Amino acid sequence: MNGGGAEGVYVGQPGDLRGVRRFSHEAMATVYEVYAVHDDRQYAAQAAHASFDLVDRLERELSRFLPNSDVTRINHLAAGERTRVARSTLECLAIARDMFDLTGGAFDVSIGTGLASLDLDPDDSTVHATASGVQIDLGGIGKGYAVDLMADTLEEWDVPLSLAHGGFSSLLALDPPADRDGWPLTLSDPGDPSRVLAQMSVRQTALGASGVRKRDHIVDPRTGAPVRGRRAAWVALNRPPAAPADVAESRPRMAAVADALTTACMLMHVDDIDALCRNGDGVEAWILEETGLLHFGERTESRHGQ
Amino acid sequence: MGSNDRPKTLDRREVLKGLSTLPALGLFGYAWQKQRAYQQARVAEATATAQAPADLQVINIALIGAGAQGQVLTDAMLRIPGLRFRAVCDIWTEYNQKRMVNSLKRFKHEPNAYEDYREMLDKEKELDAVVIATPDFWHAQHAIDCLKAGTHVYCEKEMSNTLEGARKMVAAQRETGKLLQIGHQRRSNPRYLHCYDKILKQAQMLGRIVTVYGQWNRGVTPDLGAPDRYVIPQERLTQYGFKDMHQFRNWRWYKGKGGGPIVDLGSHQIDIYSWYLGANPSHVMASGGNLYYDPKTHEWYDTVMAVYDYDTALGPAKAYYTTQTTNGSQGYFENFMGDQGTLLISESEVNYAGQLYRDPNAPAWDEWIQKGYVSAPKEQEAKAKSESGAIADVRESVAPDQHTVPVTLRDPYHQPHLQNFFDAVRGKATLNCPAEEAFQTAVAVLKVNDAIEAKMPLAFKPEDFKV
Repeated sequence: MNGGGAEGVYVGQPGDLRGVRRFSHEAMATVYEVYAVHDDRQYAAQAAHASFDLVDRLERELSRFLPNSDVTRINHLAAGERTRVARSTLECLAIARDMFDLTGGAFDVSIGTGLASLDLDPDDSTVHATASGVQIDLGGIGKGYAVDLMADTLEEWDVPLSLAHGGFSSLLALDPPADRDGWPLTLSDPGDPSRVLAQMSVRQTALGASGVRKRDHIVDPRTGAPVRGRRAAWVALNRPPAAPADVAESRPRMAAVADALTTACMLMHVDDIDALCRNGDGVEAWILEETGLLHFGERTESRHGQ
Repeated sequence: MGSNDRPKTLDRREVLKGLSTLPALGLFGYAWQKQRAYQQARVAEATATAQAPADLQVINIALIGAGAQGQVLTDAMLRIPGLRFRAVCDIWTEYNQKRMVNSLKRFKHEPNAYEDYREMLDKEKELDAVVIATPDFWHAQHAIDCLKAGTHVYCEKEMSNTLEGARKMVAAQRETGKLLQIGHQRRSNPRYLHCYDKILKQAQMLGRIVTVYGQWNRGVTPDLGAPDRYVIPQERLTQYGFKDMHQFRNWRWYKGKGGGPIVDLGSHQIDIYSWYLGANPSHVMASGGNLYYDPKTHEWYDTVMAVYDYDTALGPAKAYYTTQTTNGSQGYFENFMGDQGTLLISESEVNYAGQLYRDPNAPAWDEWIQKGYVSAPKEQEAKAKSESGAIADVRESVAPDQHTVPVTLRDPYHQPHLQNFFDAVRGKATLNCPAEEAFQTAVAVLKVNDAIEAKMPLAFKPEDFKV
């Protein structure tokens, strides 16, 4: 897989927060969690588990290790064949394709096997292969997408003072506890987790982390070669307010976007990362190179401080 | 694209081209615009049924019960060509019903929404079939009224929470002549069918099955809840037989509504015991209790261990089944142990998806390997070449044979069973789990709860399994 998420447990966890309830669930080979402030523990647990149910459903659809998942069926398509997939699978693929376009192919869920050969038909929720042999792996975006859906569920359940994450590498902070201006987070060195590189306090923010531990590597989908010299990348994005229901079904999936962009940031030229953060309002990125931490962009809305 | 076609370096012009779309919009704008464009379904000629061959008869269907299981069935049905959703009925109009109708509309269906299934049956005169995924205590009435209204019925298991209800369902099916398929979906699973037809019946690879073991273990989960803003008014809950919202969401745990984990989970697998053994049980003894959860909200047993006696055509057999809801270790599977081999199988495509072990003294399986009934063992036996006249080729030690069942399901788990039902509606198949068959499973499974209460073995009479 080209990246990411699975290795990158570098978003520090919230410290000792009074009144914050924590719920955990194993899925997608990691642990998903909800941190929530709510008077009723049972209600908060039910809301958290409703969000975990969604993650389990997504795993059944998105896992390339399950013989009857949507992704496996897509990976078995021959030229000219089509398969119907869950709407969530199609949306995740659509975001992946947009991120491919945005990053010039640095983020590629097909790892160079030809994402362009998959036609997505949102009307019919089908994926149509125009060539054989396309192999997709949504590992670099699926966790973020799952966290986006978890946040929707928490809001539906009126649990707005909450945070959801998948393995700490994809995280979405909603509103913070009442006595705080944000959820406290740290970014640390994957080679030495005790070395904190940055501290921040975020709200309505999506964060993604990607990185490599010793002897691991990320493959550049454009060259097939391992990436050297860059050890970790983080991307933070402001989460916009909900749109009116008649405009869009849901908010933009910013955790999925952040997840994808961190993988791309492991590969992109620093000038391009800088351009992304300057052009993209509310985008912030950190790159850990052998020479040290580079920081790009500013986000005012989330009131982060270092 | 071959590896030679790949750009050798990350093409920065491509990146900049991508980024150039950003300044006017910002990243939110970009993501939003892209995702809105995706979400606003474009006008297209393709419709959900357009994929179906022109001569395929369109089946008009309704769904009663749009909860978690109704969603699972619908996800599978959306992949079956030639179905047209005409109605969705659910008493949770604020949530399940609304979500299901919206979801189906995105697939170009235009279902009418109902709270009361009677009103639905009165108004929807073109229904060919109804799929029922309501709480067990509603199954009999829903299924019988749909059959009598002239529709075929696919009803989730357990077919009823009472034998009286199940018996009436069989009677209504016979009286109306309509199809009634019960949702023991393993009966249509290609791996289970392969194991039954080829491995057990034709090749008899296990020899005589003497013992069976199976389990479904689940970890601790909180009771199901509902978002505060979508709670059903008490009047409506009472009208449909629920004392409160908690009972509505957690009916499986309540006496008179569901049957607890032995029925929710065990029923699927005990159904396979009887199918594969070719017999109904003669006795059952069971122990169970509410060891963990609050008995006020969990009236049924959270832990059950049951032992069945069978008199099979080949001789007596015992089958053990356990389900517990406090630790999910090793999940669910069925293990059939014969004097010549073992079959470990589960519905899961990942865990225990069909492994076979041959007893070293059993006849060779070469023929069945050649026929493709089972995979070749991981390590070939160190056979001496026959022309050499030697009896053995001496070499490093060889592991015992391990084989797998070479059948993989690519579709959602419930799709084959639903497909079988709709094929039968079109007159092109016979049901894999008709009401009479499921009734026998209900008899075997519901008796476990009786045996726990009785604290002694209970006997089945052959006529218990007949309607």
